[in-house]
Amino acid sequence: MVHITINGQELTVEPGMTVLQAAKQAGIDIPTLCHHPAISDIGACRMCLVEVAKQRALQPACTFPVTEGMEVQTESPKVVAARKFVLQLLFSERNHYCMYCQMSGDCELQALAYRYGLDHWIYDRPFEPMPVDGSRRYFLLDHNRCVLCRRCIRACEEIVANHTLGTRQRGSKTMISADLDVPFGKSTCVSCGTCLQVCPTGAVIDRKSAYRGRVSRGDVQSSKSVCVGCAVGCGVVVVHRAGHIVRIESDWDAEPSRGLLCVTGRFEQLEEVRPRLTKPLVRRNGTLVETDWDAAMEAAVVGFRKARTSGAIATGRATNETFRALARTFALTGTWGKPLPVLGYGKPGTLADLEGADAIVVAGADPAETHRVVAYRIRRALDHGARLFLVDGGGGEYLQPFATLSVPPAEAAKVVEVVADASSPVVIYGAGLQESALKALKALDGKATFIGLPAAANARGAEAEGVKSWNGTSAVDALYVLAGDDPAEPQELPQAGFLVVQSAYRSALTDRADVVLPSPAWAERSGHVTNLEGRTCAFEAAFPAPEGVPAEWQPLATLAERLGKA
Amino acid sequence: MAEPLYRANVLVCGGTGCTASGSQAVREAMARELERRGLTGEVRLVETGCRGFCAMGPVMIIYPEGIFYCQVTAADVPTIVEETLVKGRVVDRLTYKEPVTHKSIPFYKDIGFYGKQFRIALRNCGLINPENIEEYIARDGYAALAKVLTEMTPEQVIDTVKRAGLRGRGGAGFPVGLKWELCRKSPGNEKYILCNADEGDPGAFMDRSILEGDPHSVVEGMIIGSYAIGAREGYIYCRAEYPLAIQRLKIAIQQAEEYGLLGDNILGSSHSFRLHIKEGAGAFVCGEETALMASVEGRRGEPRPRPPYPAVAGLWNKPSNINNVKSYANIPPIILNGAEWFASRGTERSKGTAVFALTGKVNNTGLVEVPMGITLGEIIFDVGGGIPNGKKFKAVQTGGPLGGCLPASHLNTPVDYESLTEAGATMGSGGMIVADEDTCMVELAKFFLTFAQAESCGKCVPCRVGGKRMLEILTRICEGKGTMEDLDTIRELADGMNTASLCALGQLTPGPVRATLRYFLDEYEAHIRDKYCPAGVCKALVRARCINSCPAGVDVPSYVAAIAAGKYAEGLAIHRERNPFPLACGRVCPAFCEERCRRGDIDEAVAIRQLKRFMADHEAEVPWTPTVPAQKWPERVAVVGGGPAGLTAALRLAERGYEVTVFEAAPEPGGWMTYGIPEYRLPKAILRKEIEAIKRAGVEIRTNTALGRDFTLDDLMGKMGYKAVVLAIGTQVSRRLRIPGEDLSGVIHATDFLRSVAMGQAPDVAGKRVVVVGGGNTAIDAARTALRRGAAAVHIVYRRTRAEMPAQPSEVAEAEEEGVQLHLLANPVRIIGPGYVTGVECQAQELGPFDESGRRRPVPLEGSEFLIPAEVVIPAVGQGVDLSCLNGDAPETNRDSTFRVNEHLATSREGVFAAGDAVLGPATVIQAVAQGNQVALAVDAYLRGKPVVNARQMTPYRTAELTYKLEDYAEARRASMPMQEPAARAHNFNEVELGFAEEAAREEARRCLRCDLEYEEYMASQRGEEN
Repeated sequence: MVHITINGQELTVEPGMTVLQAAKQAGIDIPTLCHHPAISDIGACRMCLVEVAKQRALQPACTFPVTEGMEVQTESPKVVAARKFVLQLLFSERNHYCMYCQMSGDCELQALAYRYGLDHWIYDRPFEPMPVDGSRRYFLLDHNRCVLCRRCIRACEEIVANHTLGTRQRGSKTMISADLDVPFGKSTCVSCGTCLQVCPTGAVIDRKSAYRGRVSRGDVQSSKSVCVGCAVGCGVVVVHRAGHIVRIESDWDAEPSRGLLCVTGRFEQLEEVRPRLTKPLVRRNGTLVETDWDAAMEAAVVGFRKARTSGAIATGRATNETFRALARTFALTGTWGKPLPVLGYGKPGTLADLEGADAIVVAGADPAETHRVVAYRIRRALDHGARLFLVDGGGGEYLQPFATLSVPPAEAAKVVEVVADASSPVVIYGAGLQESALKALKALDGKATFIGLPAAANARGAEAEGVKSWNGTSAVDALYVLAGDDPAEPQELPQAGFLVVQSAYRSALTDRADVVLPSPAWAERSGHVTNLEGRTCAFEAAFPAPEGVPAEWQPLATLAERLGKA
Repeated sequence: MAEPLYRANVLVCGGTGCTASGSQAVREAMARELERRGLTGEVRLVETGCRGFCAMGPVMIIYPEGIFYCQVTAADVPTIVEETLVKGRVVDRLTYKEPVTHKSIPFYKDIGFYGKQFRIALRNCGLINPENIEEYIARDGYAALAKVLTEMTPEQVIDTVKRAGLRGRGGAGFPVGLKWELCRKSPGNEKYILCNADEGDPGAFMDRSILEGDPHSVVEGMIIGSYAIGAREGYIYCRAEYPLAIQRLKIAIQQAEEYGLLGDNILGSSHSFRLHIKEGAGAFVCGEETALMASVEGRRGEPRPRPPYPAVAGLWNKPSNINNVKSYANIPPIILNGAEWFASRGTERSKGTAVFALTGKVNNTGLVEVPMGITLGEIIFDVGGGIPNGKKFKAVQTGGPLGGCLPASHLNTPVDYESLTEAGATMGSGGMIVADEDTCMVELAKFFLTFAQAESCGKCVPCRVGGKRMLEILTRICEGKGTMEDLDTIRELADGMNTASLCALGQLTPGPVRATLRYFLDEYEAHIRDKYCPAGVCKALVRARCINSCPAGVDVPSYVAAIAAGKYAEGLAIHRERNPFPLACGRVCPAFCEERCRRGDIDEAVAIRQLKRFMADHEAEVPWTPTVPAQKWPERVAVVGGGPAGLTAALRLAERGYEVTVFEAAPEPGGWMTYGIPEYRLPKAILRKEIEAIKRAGVEIRTNTALGRDFTLDDLMGKMGYKAVVLAIGTQVSRRLRIPGEDLSGVIHATDFLRSVAMGQAPDVAGKRVVVVGGGNTAIDAARTALRRGAAAVHIVYRRTRAEMPAQPSEVAEAEEEGVQLHLLANPVRIIGPGYVTGVECQAQELGPFDESGRRRPVPLEGSEFLIPAEVVIPAVGQGVDLSCLNGDAPETNRDSTFRVNEHLATSREGVFAAGDAVLGPATVIQAVAQGNQVALAVDAYLRGKPVVNARQMTPYRTAELTYKLEDYAEARRASMPMQEPAARAHNFNEVELGFAEEAAREEARRCLRCDLEYEEYMASQRGEEN
């Protein structure tokens, strides 16, 4: 431990800490701008400059390591003057007319200006209008508001390992650039939106949430949730206002994503346009008509009572609680989506294993399409020196260029041979894994950890509750389909004389049902899901479902009760 | 294979400078010529690296004699072979000529450029073929490495370097030995050693010359370093713009590998080392060590905060050592000759030598290596040979674009890390750029700032934005749009950048701006307050250089254009708007305009003064009557003194509607024009015409009316009823020599002598020997007048050299032609005589350290006394204001007795102004006229209660039409002025210059390049941009 003094306060801190970390631990607030806890520090913005005794120049707290006996002043006149100087320069550099900015109120630069009493401009503001890159679908890059803190670049590089963003030119001509200066929309960007989330100003703007309310003014509320776009189970923060999602952010603290999120989790679910169902419907004389819950449930009960054979098929996005109710109500259950092959060997791994992996084998899976955050974490591992091996058409276009070796399933043994000298390999496999590769990879049993990428988001939860992938009875007399808010509909359904559909939205499927039961949308649900690692995560509804829409498991419980299966 | 025994070696420089001036062709011609004459077995031809004397390239040295030829062309080669190599004679026309004396200096060792140099880092440059390792080995190359690997431990190597006191030659000056030690002690098996060869300063080529001229010295230094710190791998980071350096490095590395000096188990030892070259893409910031390492790693070359320092986590996060090219080149001699040998040179804290690329306004541009502690003045004037074309030294920029510039008062500053930093400059990597009087210091600061801010990497805010903001302000100032508040803003920006920037680039970017603000604040103020660029550089402020350099701002191109068109009256009218004395100034003006005439950059300046004289002489029949308003203001103004300042002030006030009275103590008005300047330069009859014109403006001139005798200042302001007074009383008192014998009969001060001659009461000098003391125009006037009064011999004794004489060079030359003898570097110590003068004892002087003005101070040489027999001694060593006329009630004065005035020429007494020599000290007619203009505007403003107009803006400029084709006069040479023969003129008082004939004058006028038209175009384009 080392002993230091900050603003006269004596502290004992871990060696290797930065002054900023030590100060934070002691509750001393040092202002920052280019610093972000999730990414490395570069000391560029000079907001966190502090006065360190015996140092000629002011030093950035975010990179300066503590040493024994160090004395630091964080708000001395010299420090404050330097910060004001830096702020004056920043405000002179580009268009920072806050009142016209969508981030006004939630902007870190603006907050710093208030903190240091910047009530006038010293320098002329000769800035020329900068381009606004609006070539991306979900967000845009407004260079006019950019402070060149490079958080977006570091997020793209260190968190997502996508390396799309960088700088072009130098000095006062420096600009954020996508790839080798192509329009953002034509770049290698994967729309994960991490840059958007780390931007301290209004330079990277979410088209959807812009001008829809400020956090600082209490216009919007935030609540934590878990994304069910795929089986990774990313922790998210839902920012909402009056029962509508304004935007979705990644939860920096939640495992296993820790700040990662993909286009599906952040943007695509906000694109929902299907008409919402809030009242139950029953088919009378060939047409669906609104009814009350009791009548609808009764119609369903009658339908199932009549049936000799019945079954239920559910979206993989349902909660563990729902699956439990489903399994209790129906003998024959399943989720849609192709099941993962059963390996019969292999220690199951977690995504954290990728961090220390020196070799990664992707077999029969295209994580960049189905589990993007896994793909980003693979790329991150590659940046830290891991080698990538693709088997069985695994990897897809996104990972192909980085592969050390890429082989068809029959030659999986080649990969096994090369990976043999790795000390901590990880195998990632998907539903596309062929039998021959499955057999060959067994050679890595005991050495590698194996991570399966199930097609259904809560496949692990379903399985635990006794609901497996639907493996196909050709026809039943009565069928219960829990579509929930799944954007995808089941491709093939067993034929059934009587069809009950529980869904949040009206669709072709509900149109042919005999009974339609409204279901809550994702953000309106509470419960648990279990991700591909087997990690069970609880989440709460961000806001209540529309009046009259019960919890997802509720209709099933009622049905079970009335059918006498409770 | 043994080489034949040669009788001569011909060394031809193949450095970049000489290659650019054609040394390749010279070398090829020499090879052909030797072949043709069958001399290849006797004479060896060697291509060397840079010899440093780039200004004189291509250079050639012929051994064994050490004959030095410069600016050699291929056509000279047969002559060199015939004369020197066959007949053993020196070809005089190819030898180096000393710039002041023009003496030819045939031998390398005698050339002043090399005289004060001592070469350690450059020891082999220009002497060996850099592409031949054997030549390096023959000069003790790799002997230091052998010693290190066989006899020394790494610790001993580090200790030797530490004791030698070698400091980092990249500029920061961190002790090299200590740096090595830190890296050696840093934990880790994998370590790197790097050489910083990313030399990017404008005008700097020190590292380049070493890499091109002696690459092995760097390679050897690095191998020794790698042994000391324990590195097995090294990189030389060299900018790709140095293809020759890279090529020679590659050859050197390959040869060293072949010789077992690089690679595994070097010289049979356990030490292995591999060396790579990394080509940089030319970003200046990559010279910063952390940025350099990022660039080697293949990342964007940007600095990162330190700690961690490279010694702990450098290249690829491994302990690394990085030094400059010159630092490594110094290592082998230190090892071979010992720490004490190295430490015996230089100063207490800065040991060894410093290598500079000397460029800019200096005669001997090139590469020099001098012992630390040598003064800036010695480098510029002894090694550098002084300033070209007799211009005045203004400043020297050291430390490259991030350094600072020092003025003449710092020429005695020793060159070492601490002294330069203390003075506001830096040592830097070794760029040294000399600026002369034609350099605008604001523009210079802007130039360096433009470079530095463009090279900012853009990572940290202070550097990225601060540099830009500062440049905008500087640009504004150069365009005449600055405010005094801007200066405070610049200072704040400079301080902020200095304390808050991430790396040295940002911290030091404000260096040149800070230094110029410190030493040349007056130039900033002139740009801001007077919208005036004193050096005549800033485009928006300089209509034409001639106008700009004229103290009164006379519209030269317009009246010269009028002469070309034959419209003499129009030209005179333009002239008189700012100077009412065209007849007088056409004869006696030193013509600052001609010194700065752009035509002079091509061939010779337009003969502006003589054109003026022609134009004025031409107006004989209808004399000029100034226009004055009929309506007069009630306030009357008194002007004391009827010299050029007083008369101009009176005229301008009359033109503005004031009743003016000029009080003149002498019988005739005109001041020094009448009683100082001799008849042969300015005939009295001609001067009278100009004074008559001023009288016609209604100015009353009361002669024989003396302040102090006939009236007092209080009388003027009181009972005589004047509301404002202009004191233009000149400098009447001659400064005394303060040596024994000054009161002997026969000593007559120059002012008294010239005045007596003008009044016809000349002291008798006929047949006598006369000694004039001093080097100004008055001294020359006195000498030439004495000659004309029949003196038997006239001597001028001056304590400095001809270059330092304040007199106009043409006057000095004419005096010599007439037979006046100059005794330079001589000072009178005693006037000898028994009651009357019989001689002057003088003492020879030598030039010592520099004084505040940048001139070398004469230092007496003991025992060098000599006697000049003489009967008359005329001291002319300066003049002061005769304050006795103010009866002890003078307004405040300066130390030199001139009046203390504010920028509007107001004295400390309400309503009393001063102008002319009484403010400036002894000056010229045109400077007095300028003051007359300004004081009239100030008096007008004072009486009318309005702001003072700057005299530079007193009248608008108009653009005269171009009446001839400029290209027709592209080849025209300056017309020569018909003059009296020296033999005849020395004995009469007729005008020496006879004046132009009309056709000659009009042709001469057409040589004017009409810079004012370009200015109008430029301003129009600026206006266009703004709209």
